Amino acid sequence: MKPFNLIKTKDPKDAVSQKKEQVQYIAGGTNLVDLMKKNIQLPDTLLDITDALSRQVDNQGRAIQIGAMTRNATVATNVMILRDFPLIAKAVLAGASPQIRNMASTAGNLLQRTRCPYFYDVTTACNKRKPGSGCSAYDGHNRMSAVVGYSADCVAVHPSDLCVGLVALNAKVHITGKDQKESVIPFQEFHRLPGNTPHLDNNLPEHALITSIEVPENLFGKNCAYLKIRDRDSYAFALVSVAAALHLDGDRIIEARLASGGVAHKPWRWLQAEQFLKGKRATASTFGEAAKLVVKDLKPLTHNGFKIDMLRGAVETALGQCLLD
Amino acid sequence: MRFFDKQNKVIPEGRVEAVDKVTGGGKYAAEYKVDNLCYGILVDSTIPSGSIKNIDLTKAQQVKGVVGFVTHLQKPNVPGFATEDLIKQSRFGLPIFHTDKIYFKGQPIALVIAETLEDATYAATLIEVEYNTASFQVDFDAVHHNIPLQEAGRERGQIDSWRNAPYVIEEEYNIKSEVHNPMEMHATIAEWTGERHLKLYDKTQGVNNVQQVIAPLFNLEKENLEVVSEFVGGGFGSGLRVWPHVLATVMAAKQVSRPVKLMLTRPQMFTGTGYRPASWQKIKLGADASGKFLGIHHQAKNETSLYERFSDQITRVTRLIYNFDNLKTEDALVPLNLSAATWMRGPGDCTGDFAIECAIDELSYKLKMDPVDLRSKNIAATHHPENKLPWSSNYLLECISIGAKHIGWDNRSPMPNSMKDGDWQIGYGMAVGMWNAGRNKTSAAIKMLADGRIIVQTAMTDIGTGTGTGMKNIAHETTGIPQDKITVELGNSSLPPAPSQGGSTGMSSVSGAIVEASNALKLKLAEYAALINIDFRNLSPDAILLSGKGISRKENPNETVTYADLWEQNKLDNVVVEATSGPGEERKKYAFCSSAAHFCQVRVNVKTGKVKIEKLVCIADGGKIVNEKAAANQMSGAAVGGIGMALMEEKLIDAKIGGLIGDDLAGYHFPVNADAPMIDVHFIGKPDPYINPTGAKGLGEVGIIGTAAAIANAIYHATGKRLRNLPITPDTIVG
Repeated sequence: MKPFNLIKTKDPKDAVSQKKEQVQYIAGGTNLVDLMKKNIQLPDTLLDITDALSRQVDNQGRAIQIGAMTRNATVATNVMILRDFPLIAKAVLAGASPQIRNMASTAGNLLQRTRCPYFYDVTTACNKRKPGSGCSAYDGHNRMSAVVGYSADCVAVHPSDLCVGLVALNAKVHITGKDQKESVIPFQEFHRLPGNTPHLDNNLPEHALITSIEVPENLFGKNCAYLKIRDRDSYAFALVSVAAALHLDGDRIIEARLASGGVAHKPWRWLQAEQFLKGKRATASTFGEAAKLVVKDLKPLTHNGFKIDMLRGAVETALGQCLLD
Repeated sequence: MRFFDKQNKVIPEGRVEAVDKVTGGGKYAAEYKVDNLCYGILVDSTIPSGSIKNIDLTKAQQVKGVVGFVTHLQKPNVPGFATEDLIKQSRFGLPIFHTDKIYFKGQPIALVIAETLEDATYAATLIEVEYNTASFQVDFDAVHHNIPLQEAGRERGQIDSWRNAPYVIEEEYNIKSEVHNPMEMHATIAEWTGERHLKLYDKTQGVNNVQQVIAPLFNLEKENLEVVSEFVGGGFGSGLRVWPHVLATVMAAKQVSRPVKLMLTRPQMFTGTGYRPASWQKIKLGADASGKFLGIHHQAKNETSLYERFSDQITRVTRLIYNFDNLKTEDALVPLNLSAATWMRGPGDCTGDFAIECAIDELSYKLKMDPVDLRSKNIAATHHPENKLPWSSNYLLECISIGAKHIGWDNRSPMPNSMKDGDWQIGYGMAVGMWNAGRNKTSAAIKMLADGRIIVQTAMTDIGTGTGTGMKNIAHETTGIPQDKITVELGNSSLPPAPSQGGSTGMSSVSGAIVEASNALKLKLAEYAALINIDFRNLSPDAILLSGKGISRKENPNETVTYADLWEQNKLDNVVVEATSGPGEERKKYAFCSSAAHFCQVRVNVKTGKVKIEKLVCIADGGKIVNEKAAANQMSGAAVGGIGMALMEEKLIDAKIGGLIGDDLAGYHFPVNADAPMIDVHFIGKPDPYINPTGAKGLGEVGIIGTAAAIANAIYHATGKRLRNLPITPDTIVG
C-alpha cells in the first residue's frame, strides 16, 4: 500500500475545508482500505471523518434522519427503524458480514465501489478504474453484471443492499459541499448510470460530504420484504435482490414499491411494475403479472441471461413475503 | 520446543492444543520472533505467457527500508539449480528465479526484501517489468477435446461384452477448479544459522519432506536443516508440496544475509500452492434388469501446468468400490498456462466418485430401483475388486443402512419432483465414498521425567486434524499413564522422523509408532523395576501397568514400584525410548479401505434457484476412532468442503486475459455457517484387525468423497433436473 497521511477531522465543515485532489475521506474503511491495498485508489492523505459526523438515528417527526457515520450494525438494530422502517433493517442485514457491518458507515455504504472483479484487478482493462482502457466484463465474466441501464463502456452493478431499501423508500441524501453549503439530493438521483463516464458512480459534487440520510415516514412498515439471491447465504453479493413494499387496505394495494440490486449500475426502481400494482388486489397472479413487467425489457449479457428468470421468481417471492409479515 | 504444554482443563478429553489456539499462544509459521528479521514480498507476472525483457528496480529501490531484491538476474547461488539438468532432476516444479520464461499469470518473478512488511509491499508495487508476450491457452473447456485419452490402468474383462446391456447411462461431467484456501496463508521464515546450517519455520504438512526437498538444493546435510511447523492452520493438501515461495525465502535470506519472512497474499494462495484441477469426465455404465452392473467405461481429463504434469488420477476410485467385471479407464492431462495443480482433499477420488455416483443414481431411476438398493447390490463388500485380496475390514454396507435411518430415507417418495412445500421442492439423495487406507513408516519417542510425566514426540505435523490429541490418547490407553501427565511435541524435523500428514494416513501411521514406543517404555521401566523386584523380569508389555505414580504388574496391580524409587535406585536421568512402526506382510494378505455413506436432504426453490441443505448425514468406517470429537470435527469439516464443491466453489479464469479473476475470499465462495446444517456424523467404530496396532484407519478423505454427488442427487430428486456440472449455483437451477 502506498504510504499516506491520516488527519482527524472534527466536523463536516472542517472536513470539507481540507478536502482536495489526492485527499480522500475515510469512515469505516471497509471498502476504501481494500481499494488502497489493491492499488486502485492511491490517496496521499486520508481525512478521518469518524468523529466529524453524526452516529445517531433521529426522529424528525415526518421522517427519520440517519447520521452519515451510523454503523450498518446500528441501523439494523435501531428500535425506530425496526418498528417503522423494517425494510431498511432487512436490507442491511442481507449485506456483508457482522464484522463488516460493525465497521461500515451508512454514508460509506452509498459510496462503496462496484465489486466487478475486473475493477479490482489492476492488470485488466476497466473503464471505471482507468477511463478509456475498455471493459473486460462486457464480453468476459459477466455472470454478476448488469441486465439494465448499462453501456458498452461498463456493465458493473452497484453492490449495496441498504441502498436498494433506501431507494424504494424515496430517501434523501443530505450533503455539505466544498463551499460549506448544505443541500439535498433525492436518492433516486444520487447514483448514476455508466454511460460513457463509468468512472463516476454518483452525482455527489466534487469534495462534498454526505452528512445524513433522510427517510420520509411511510405506510410500508407492515408489508415489506427484502429478498437476496446469492451464491452463498452470507458474505456474498447479490445475483439479484428485491426490495418489495406494499401499503395495503385489506387485500387492496394502495401503493407499492419495488427495487432491485444486482441488476444495474445504481439501485434500480421498477416504476412501471409499481404503477401496475397500484389499486390491484394482492394476489399471486397480480404479483406474477408485476414480475413479468419487471423483466420485460431486460437485456442480459453473454453469461447472465439467468437473471431474467431468477429476477421474475424473486419479485414474485418477495411480493408474496410482504403478506407474511 | 514444548508444543502442546498447556493442559486443557476445561474439556479434558478435548484437543491438546485448544488452549494455545484460542488464546493465541500457539505459534503459526509466520508468528515466530526471530532477531534481525526482514520481510519479503513476491512480485507476480502480469502476463500469462512469454518472457521477461527487463525488470526495472529503480523506483522500488528508493523506498526507505528496502534491503534487497531477488530476480533471475540477481540471486544467490543455488547449487541444486546450477544447470538445466539439475533443475530437471530436482523435480522441484517451477524453477523460480532461474528462468526468464513466463508460464502463467501470477508467476513469481521478483522478490522485494525490506525492513517492514509495509515497505516491502509498497516497493513491490513500484517494480516495473517489460515482457515479450507470447500466445497462451487457459481455457480447459475449449481445448480438452483436442487431447487424446490414454489407457489408465489395466482393462478388466471386455468392453464389448456389455454393449447390448438393457440399461445404460452415458453422460459427461465437468467440475470447475477448486482452491484449498486454508485459513492460514502459506508462510516461511528462513534463517541461515551458519554457513551450512539453515532453520525454517514453514507452513507445511510434512517437516521431513521440506527437509528432503530443500537440503539437497543447497548441498546441506539433512540434519543441518531444521524445519519447524508446530501449528498449522489447515492444509487440505496444499502443504504436501514444497512450493516456490519456500525456496524464494531461503534464497532471499542468503541474498541479504539476514532472516527473511515471507507470507503469501491471499491472491497468491490461488496460484502459489496448488488447486484441485478442473476436470472433464465421461461415464458409460451398464446394468442388467436386476440392477447388476455389467461394466463401466470411465474417461477423465484434468488440467495441468506447462512446467510440470500433475495427474489427479480421477479413475482410481473406479476400481475400488463396486464389482465391475468389465472395466475400462482412460485419462489425459491438459496442459495450460496455469500454475501447478496438486492434491486437494479426497484428491482424484472426490472428482471421479462424483461422476460415478451421479451415473449410478441416474441408472437407479432408469431401473426404477431404490438408489440404496442398487448400490448395496453391487458394492464389493468382501474383496478388493481389483487385486481380489480380502478386505481387512469394510463396513460400507453398514454405513449405508445406518445412514438411511439417520436421514429418514423411508420418508422419501421414489419419484423425482414429487415432494413439495409451496415454492420449495424437497429431495433426498445419497452417495458413497471410499479411499485406499494407507499407512507409512513412522517413528515416535517417549521421554519420561523423574516425576512420572511423559512427553510423546514425533516429527509429524498436526494440521488441525487432532494428531497431537490422538497421540496423547493412544499413549494413555497403551501405558495407563493419566492424560494430565502426558504432553506432546510434534511438527519439528529434529524429532523422530514421520511422513507428511496427508492422504488419510496420519493417524493410521503415527498410532502404531506410539503403541510401539509405549510398549518400549513399559519394557524399559520393567527392566529397571526388576533390579528392585525380581518379579518384574521378563514381562510382556501386556503384563505391565503404568500409572501416575509407578509401575506394577497386571497379576498384582496393588504392588507398585514408584517412579521415585526407580529413579533413585537406578540413578536415572530421563528415560527415553524410540520406536518405529510401519506396514508389513499384512499388506500382501489384505486390502485396506476407509469408507463412508453420505445422505442429503435439500430444499430447492424453483423460482429463485436457491438450494438449502436441510440435512447432511455422514456415516463413516474409519476403524477404531481414537478421539471421537476430533474425528467428528474432521468429518463435518469435510462435509462442508463437499457443500462448497457441490454448490459454490469455482476458481474463475478469464480466457481472454489468461488468468484468474476474483482471486480473493470475497470472489471465491466457500460455504459459511449459514450454508451448512449441523452435520450428522456417525462412526462404525470397529477397529481394523490388521492395519496397525490400534486398528485406526484414516478419515480425512472419505468425509468429502461422495458428498457432492449426494447433494447433486438430492437436487435431482427434488426437481427432476439432472445437473452433471459443478458447482451447482442458483443460476443453473433456474436456467
